Amino acid sequence: MYRASQPVRRLAILVLAGAMLSVPVSLVAQANSATPSSSNTSERWLHVRVICTDSKGESVRVNIPVEMAEKVLPAINKNQLHGGKVHLSDSELNGVDLKTLLEAVRSSKDGEYVTVEATDADVRVAKQSGFMLVHVTEKNIAAKGGKASEKSRVDVKVPMKVVEALFSAGKDELDLVAALRALSANGDTELFSVKSDDSTVHVWLDSKNVAD
Amino acid sequence: MMLLAKLAVGAATTLVFATVYTFREGTVRVDVDELREGGAHVHVWAPAAVVPMALYFVPDRKLEKLTDHAEQWAPIARIAAQEMRRYPNSTFVEVQDSREHVKVSTAGSRIEVDVEEPDENVHVAVPLTMIDDVIARIARSQPAA
Repeated sequence: MYRASQPVRRLAILVLAGAMLSVPVSLVAQANSATPSSSNTSERWLHVRVICTDSKGESVRVNIPVEMAEKVLPAINKNQLHGGKVHLSDSELNGVDLKTLLEAVRSSKDGEYVTVEATDADVRVAKQSGFMLVHVTEKNIAAKGGKASEKSRVDVKVPMKVVEALFSAGKDELDLVAALRALSANGDTELFSVKSDDSTVHVWLDSKNVAD
Repeated sequence: MMLLAKLAVGAATTLVFATVYTFREGTVRVDVDELREGGAHVHVWAPAAVVPMALYFVPDRKLEKLTDHAEQWAPIARIAAQEMRRYPNSTFVEVQDSREHVKVSTAGSRIEVDVEEPDENVHVAVPLTMIDDVIARIARSQPAA
C-alpha cells in the first residue's frame, strides 16, 4: 500500500487546513464585498422628510432608491394601483380630459397659467424652464386693516418630462413607473415642500442615500 | 493512537464544514428587552439557514392561515428584499418622536429593524437572502389559484 512520506503528509495537512480556513474567510469576504458605500453617483434616491414642530416633535425620514421603487411598484396591486399605474375613476376626473389638458400645457410657451389672489390663499400655476410649478400660500385672515400672515406654503416643482411620463399611459391612468424613470434621468431636484405652523414636508431627489 | 488522531481530524473537519454550511447565510438576531421591572430579556441568535428549514416542519394549512393574503405581499417583499441587497448600509425609513424611534435599514447584507420605546427595545437583524427562502417556502404552501 502506498504511504506518503512525512513531508508530503505535512504539506497535505497544511493545504487542507488552509483550504478549510479559507472557506469561512471567503464567506466573510463575500459578505463584506456587499458593503461598499452605496451612494453610487448614477443611483437616484427619493427622499421624503416630515418634521412636526408640535409637542410630540415627530419626524419621519424615508429614503428610497428610485430604481428600487421602479421594481417594487409594478408588484403592488391594491385598490387603484395596478402594474405601476394608478387608475383614475370618472368621479375623480370630474369630466376633465387630463391628456388633452397636458398636451395644451406641454405645447404652450413658458408662462403663468393660473394666478389667484384671495384673502385666504394665493395660488400660482406656471411653466418655466421645463418645469411645472405650483405655489399655494394659505393665509391667516387678517384683522381689519392688518396684514394677513402666512399660514402655510406649498411649493411643487416637477420636471415637465416627468409630468408627460406620468400621463403617458391611458386617458384615465397615471403611469408612476414611467414618471419615476423620467425622474431618475433628472439631476438633483426639489420636488415638493410644504411649510406650515406645525410641520414641514420636503420631497426631493438626489444621489445620496441619507436624508440630511 | 494514529487511528484516534485520524478520527479526531475527520470529526473536526466534519464539524468545521457543518458549521460553515449552517452559517453560510449568516445569522438571525432578535433582541427584545422589556425595560420595566422584571421585564423579559430575550436574545436569540440563530443561523439563518435553519429558519427556512424549520418552516418545512410547519404543516401547510397552518402556514396558509399564518400567511393570509401572501399572494398580495409576498411578491412585493421578495422584490424589495432582492433590491435591498444592492443598497447595503442604507437607512430606508426612520421615524422618531419624543417617545419612540423606529428604523429600518440595511447593514451589509442584512436588514435591520430597530424599535426603541420607553418600555421596550426590539432589534431584529435578518439576512436578506433568508427572506427569499422564507417567501419561497410560504409561496409553496399556498393553494394553487
